[in-house]
Parts: sequence; structure tokens; C-alpha cells
Amino acid sequence: MADDILAALRGVVGPSNLLTGVELSPYVLEGRTPMAAAFPGSVEEVSAVLTLANDASVPVTPWGGGTAMSVGAPPTRSGIVLGLRRMNRLLEHEPGDLTATVQAGMTMRDFQAAVHARGQWLSLDPPDPGAATIGGVLSANASGARRHLYGTARDLLIGVTIVCASGAIVRGGGKVVKNVAGYDLPKLFVGAFGTLGVIVEATVKLRPKPEVETLVAARFESLKDCGLAVCAVMGSDLIPSAIDLLDGEAAAAIGLPGERPALVVGFDGLAEQVEWQRAELARLCAELGGDDLRDLPAETWARLSVAAPRALTDPVAVMRLSVLPARVTEVIERAGATARGLGLRAAFSAHAGVGSITGALARGRDAVDAVVSTLRDWRDAARAGGGHAAVEAAPLAVKELVSVWDQPGAAIRIMRRIKTQLDPKGILNPGRFVGGL
Amino acid sequence: MTGERKQTLRRELEAIVGRGAVLSDPEELLVYESDGLTLFRALADFVVFPRSTEHVAAIVKLADREKLPFVARGAGTGLSGGCLPSEGGLVISLMRMNRILEIDYDNQLAVVEPGLVNLHLSWAVGPRGYYYAPDPSSQQACTIGGNIANNSGGPHTLKYGVTANHVLGLEVVLPDGEVAWLGGRTRDPNGYDLAGVFVGSEGTFGIATKIVVRILKKPQAVQTVLAVFDEVTHASDAVSAVIARGLVPAAMEMIDQLTIQAVEDAFGCGYPRDAAAALLIEVDGLAAGMASQLERIVAACRECGARDVRAAKDEAERQLLWKGRKSAFGSYGRVSPAYMVMDGVIPRTRLPYVLDRVNAIVRTHGLRVGNVFHAGDGNLHPNILYDPRIPGEEARVLAAGAEIMKVCAEVGGSISGEHGIGLEKADFMPFIFSEADLELMRRLKEAFNPGGLCNPGKIFPTKKSCVEVGPVAYRPHAIEEKGLAQRF
Repeated sequence: MADDILAALRGVVGPSNLLTGVELSPYVLEGRTPMAAAFPGSVEEVSAVLTLANDASVPVTPWGGGTAMSVGAPPTRSGIVLGLRRMNRLLEHEPGDLTATVQAGMTMRDFQAAVHARGQWLSLDPPDPGAATIGGVLSANASGARRHLYGTARDLLIGVTIVCASGAIVRGGGKVVKNVAGYDLPKLFVGAFGTLGVIVEATVKLRPKPEVETLVAARFESLKDCGLAVCAVMGSDLIPSAIDLLDGEAAAAIGLPGERPALVVGFDGLAEQVEWQRAELARLCAELGGDDLRDLPAETWARLSVAAPRALTDPVAVMRLSVLPARVTEVIERAGATARGLGLRAAFSAHAGVGSITGALARGRDAVDAVVSTLRDWRDAARAGGGHAAVEAAPLAVKELVSVWDQPGAAIRIMRRIKTQLDPKGILNPGRFVGGL
Repeated sequence: MTGERKQTLRRELEAIVGRGAVLSDPEELLVYESDGLTLFRALADFVVFPRSTEHVAAIVKLADREKLPFVARGAGTGLSGGCLPSEGGLVISLMRMNRILEIDYDNQLAVVEPGLVNLHLSWAVGPRGYYYAPDPSSQQACTIGGNIANNSGGPHTLKYGVTANHVLGLEVVLPDGEVAWLGGRTRDPNGYDLAGVFVGSEGTFGIATKIVVRILKKPQAVQTVLAVFDEVTHASDAVSAVIARGLVPAAMEMIDQLTIQAVEDAFGCGYPRDAAAALLIEVDGLAAGMASQLERIVAACRECGARDVRAAKDEAERQLLWKGRKSAFGSYGRVSPAYMVMDGVIPRTRLPYVLDRVNAIVRTHGLRVGNVFHAGDGNLHPNILYDPRIPGEEARVLAAGAEIMKVCAEVGGSISGEHGIGLEKADFMPFIFSEADLELMRRLKEAFNPGGLCNPGKIFPTKKSCVEVGPVAYRPHAIEEKGLAQRF
């Protein structure tokens, strides 16, 4: 049977776009090797691949740049990897409308370069833009520091083309910035990790590129002081594009000297707006005991989201904690104390204004037990902070003991029903998402 | 429904919500037979007024057991017939669930009940320097729960986004009476973004009973500019020119000549009567840089042929300019016995073409149109003026409306920017969605609402309708008569 499917897939995408055997090593997921990786070149080919897979009940793992493949529960069955890298074109960009339509396999960097050339940008800055694709970023709901002002994928995606498990090609939303006709399908597919359908095209809202952008760091003696500064900035007249908080380790990872926590604030706009805000930030920080105010180089932006894992020489697990903004420092303090108590090094960074913390844990001597206990406590800390936590990366042995996703509560009932309605045979990334979806 | 069954049900409903919270007399039900779009009417068997989540859950469980259709209703300011009991059954009015449960300034959020009037939230948090951003023009009357159903926008959505961008989480009573939280207080969803999908589902996925919304800091400064044009196309060009200069105004509204004259007749807001079109452009944010943003806007408008561009000198003048915009709908009464408001969206670069087409379509049908709309995000509101006493005029209005929607679809736009599909536009859905698109939406609805009892007959195209449609004489909605609401 497997040979029949491979032959059929080869017929759809062409022999050079179907990988098998040893060529599959980049697509091994948690120790599982897929039976093949198919790279369709059009929406119709994606549809044909899914139709084949669905008819044969073979699992399909959509694959963009592969930058977020560590997220999720280990796959329960092997199947086909559906790679979207050949679908990498910008389809439409009308600067006057501040919208663009793009194929899912285009990388963030290429897309940004194309719209930058006409004075615009997509206000979403996920890590690893050179590899991460638009479809992958949307499916993983990836974001960066600028989400503080500009929101996340849900706020920027206005239309999607989806290929459903059945192979049906479906459009949701539209190409206009305001639209309430029918259900808001784009929101359903953001952060769904490919479990409901494969995003093949996306229409996004763009913004004019700001004239000036700057990133400023201030240092504080303690996380607590740093947290007070976050609150002061949020309660002020400033309109920062980012408010990040880094512990001493993470601060070092973005190139700041000395092991002290840092407040990192981004501003953009007209030169006079940025200048005024910089001065106002300096005043606020001085009042709260901050010092060593300095401008950071532009490349630091990209390092903010990954500062915590980069701070450790041997990171073994990464967790994302989503908490109330005002609880960020107490959650980090507790989580750090737990790790230290179990003899593990940890580092934390946070998009503090929106309560999104990334915690990274270094490998200890008795690897698994301490990591498992720590992650469990971090999850409890996130819940105590009003939210929830998900494991972003961890070895299989850890994932077997710590649930990757948090409990979604009573809403899981609806999520299961949606999954059953949209993917009745359960072929799309089975078992990897919340609640085993 | 038999008299006996009605008596039994009434007693059961009263056992849940108490006496004085159930209506079943035909004359009392009449008040709830339509929303702001009075063309559609449908009578419920009961109107029930719960005061808690438990009440709503018990009512919905009863409806589920008895296979009675039910629909949630806020202030009834909707404009697509979305909250009509089009198959009878229960109207669940949320107007008694109107409390602000919590305001958390540290985390910049508030937890409210669905019957809270939109503007009342901004009033409550205003003294501390905060506000709730989505500002539909009916915000003095419409409720946050209704805003959830329709994913409401408003003039300032150009910069600040629509309701969905401001909702973090919802406690909902699902159509089988079970209670679940979708989303919560933190930003990242845990699982599918069900809160995001629920917003804008027009009451077909369940009933929101608690709503967590973001509250924003009020901007430090705000400036409003009135630009006057002798050609409508010049005003349309100016919209694009402002965007092209890298500015993102908080609002960018257009008003055409017919509307200007009606507004001036009614209120005298200082718009020049002989202008072909006026643009109201607002910028807000930091005080720093405000002057240079204004300069750029003025330059962009002049470059596009504006005859006059002026910034409001003070808050009083700014309020007066906005009064003209916000009272536009009410002022059509000066020039026509009735009007019907359309709602469509187009890519903003297609404004000149589409406005021409709209005018031509309306002329062909022997009617007049006034345009007042959110030009910045391409959200049109052509208002077709007519006289319901003239036989056949209303039918021509509906025909013209359908043609206008087709034009919006043709240029890559949408058939609704903020009023929703409801009953009004269900049969227009195929203009922009394929059968496969609609099938996926039906499946999503099936996941939330498998019995189909929760707000039946809305959104999806259907030939059959039990609702009274067609040559019904226009009459203003009760809240409109009291001057409580504008039409959007």
C-alpha cells in the first residue's frame, strides 16, 4: 500500500519533489521518520496530496521552514511530510491598500524584503525569519517583541486559503482590512499547528515603515525593580512598540554587560516622537533606580525572543508561560528559585507588557527528573499568574512525563468537535496539539 | 404553540428567572420583533430577562430540552436582523446583565457582562485615563455583548482595530446549556483561538455571559482636520495620499454633498454646503510629532486638490466637526422620508471607481443616495433615500442594494464591514464565498451548535424564510425615534 501511495504522490508532485529514504533525515520528528516528504508546487497539488492521504488515512505533517517543529506532543504515527517551500511567491501587494497576499512557503525575511521595498512592513517579528515561513508562523502563532504594540498573527491575518483534510480548497476572510461576512475563519487557523487544514495562502494587513526605530535598555538591581519599571512605562503616556524584561542571564545573551536584569523598550515613529519617548523613559527609569540607559543595535530586536535559551550553553527545555502582565516578575522569581533549588540553571526573558515569558532550562546531571519537576512547577507558577504554560522544546523523555500543552478546560469539548468536523479521519498532525488533537 | 404548552413553559421560565422577567403577551413581544433594520420582523413566543450565567444556562437547557429556538439580544441596535427570533421561540434579553464585574488597571483589562452599554465602560474607566477602543456610532445604546456578536467596528477601527482585537476571553453558555471559558485574561490562546472565532459569529455559537476586554490608555493628544473638496474623486485620492505618506490616522471619514447639506440643515456644524465631499481626518497619540503629522495631512489633501483644509482649533470645534459626522444618519430625515443604510467594504484604492458605480446604480433605479463612511478602511455606507409610501420604491431600494453588494464583491471586497449578515444578507453570501467556503463554515457551526437551535436562519443562504420580508412600510426603530441611536 505504501508503495502505491508513494507512486501516486510522485505522480502529483513529480519525482524531484518527493523525498524518500535517507533524504528524509531533516524531517525526522521526535525519532520518527516519515514515509515520504512531498513538495507540491501549487494549491491544486496540495489538494491532490491531501486527497490521496485522506483516502488512505495516512497522517500528514505540514512543514514550512521547520523552525517550530519542536513544539507539540510527539507524533503518534508516521506519515507524509507536506513541505510548502516551493510555494514561495508574493502574489499581490497593493501599497495603497496596505495589504498583501502571499503563498504560505515564502519566508518571513523574503516577504518583509519585498514589502519593505515599497515602504511597508508586516508588523510581526517571529524568531528565525530567514527560515520561518508565513504559513508556519501563522500556524505556530509565532511572534516577537513588537507584539506589544502591534498584536499577533490573529490581529494581522485578514484572509486565508486553506486546503482541508478532504482536499477541498477553502477561502476564509477576504482581502479587505475590515470584514464581518461569515465566520472569522482566519482566526481558527492561527495557532492551530496545521491540525485543521493546511494554510496555502494568506492575506495580511501591512503598515507603513516607521521613519525611526530604536531599542533602549536600562538596568536594575533586581527583577522586582525592573518589574516596577514595566508597570510605570505601561501606565505612562509612552506608546512603546516593545516592553521586554530580561533576567541577568538573558541580558548577557543580548550583549549587555554585567549580570543584572534589564528593561528593554522599543519605540518607533517620527524622529521627534522617538526622541521624546526616549527622554521620558530615561526620566521614569531614573525615578525607579534604573541606570546605564543605552541604545541597542538594530540586530538586538531579533535576539529578544530567543535570549533565554541562548543564555544557556546547553539548553534542554524551553517553556512559554502566558500570564497577567503585572505578575510577570513574581512568576519569573518563583520559577527561577525552583530551578535553582533543583540544581538547574535557568534563564528568563519576557515580552512583559503582554505577559509572555520564555523560560529556558539547562541540562543538569540527573537530566530527566529535575527537569520534569521544574517544568511542572513552572506550569503551576503560570497558572498562579493567571494563565497557562506550554513546553516549546524538550527531549522525548521529558515530554513523556510533562504534558506539552496545558489543560484548556471545558472548551476542549468544542475543540474536539471542530477537529472532528474539519478532519474526520484525524490525518492532520494527529496527536500533536492540545488535548491530543 | 398551544395555549397550554405556552402556560407550562412560561411557568418553567418564571421558575428560573422569577416573575416580571418573562414576557409572552403579543403586545409586549412586539417591542422585540425587529432590530435597527425594521424591514425584517419576527415575533418570539417569549422574551426572557436573565440576571446571571446560571439563569442563561438554565434557560438554554430548557430550550434544548423543548427543542425551542433561542436567540440572544442586546440593545437591538443591530442592522442586519441578526437578533430576530426568525423561527419563533425565545428571545434571551441580556439587558439586565449589565454590570462591570471587575476593572484591573494593572493588567489593562475589564470583565463585564454582555448587557453593558459600550460607552458606559469608557465612562467607568475614563477618570483613570483609560477607555474602551471599539466605538460603533450606536455606542450610547449598543451593548458589548451585541458588539461581540457582530465584531463591531467604528470610526476609530482604522488605527485601533475591531472588537475581536480587544477581547481576551469570554465565558459562554453553549447551545446545550453547558458553560465554558473561551480564552481568558492572558494573551495567548491555550488551544484553538475559540474566543477569536466566537467574536463575530452573530449569536450562532452560544451566548457570552462574561467578557474580558482590554482597556487602553487615552492618547496624550488628538487633532482633527476637516478637508473640503470640489470633486469626490479628489477626496478619494486624498485618502490614499495620506496613507502613502506613511501616516496611520485614528480615523478617516468621508461625507458627500447630499449628506453635508442634510447635516447643515439639521445641525449647522460648519461644513460648506457647496462642497462635493468632506474628509474628517483624526490623528491621535503623542503630543510630540503631532504638528508635523498635521502638516503632512494638510499637504496631502492640498496636493489632491482640497479647496480648504483646517484643523479644529479647540475641543469644542473638534466635537462640532464630529457631531456632523455622527449625526449624519439622523439628518437624512431633513431630505427624505426614509433611507436604507448599506454596508460594504472595498480595497480603499478602488474608492473612486466604486463610488461612481454606486451613484450610477442608484440613479438607474430612480433613487438618491447619501454617502457617509469609513473611507480609511474602505468601509462604505451608501444610504439610499426613498419614500415608502410610493408603491414599488422599497423594492427598488433592495434591488439597488443587491447590485451595490455585487460591485463590492467584484472589486475584491466584502458584503459587510460591520453590520453583519444576519437575515438581510444571507442570500448574498455566495457573492463572495464558494460552496466549499460555506460548507466549512457550516461545519464550524455544527461544532458549536449541533442542534441548530441557537439563532437559526442566519448567515447561511436559504431560499425559505418564515420572516415577513418585502413590501413592509419603513418605520424608525423605537430607539431611533427616541434619538438614542444612530444607524451605525
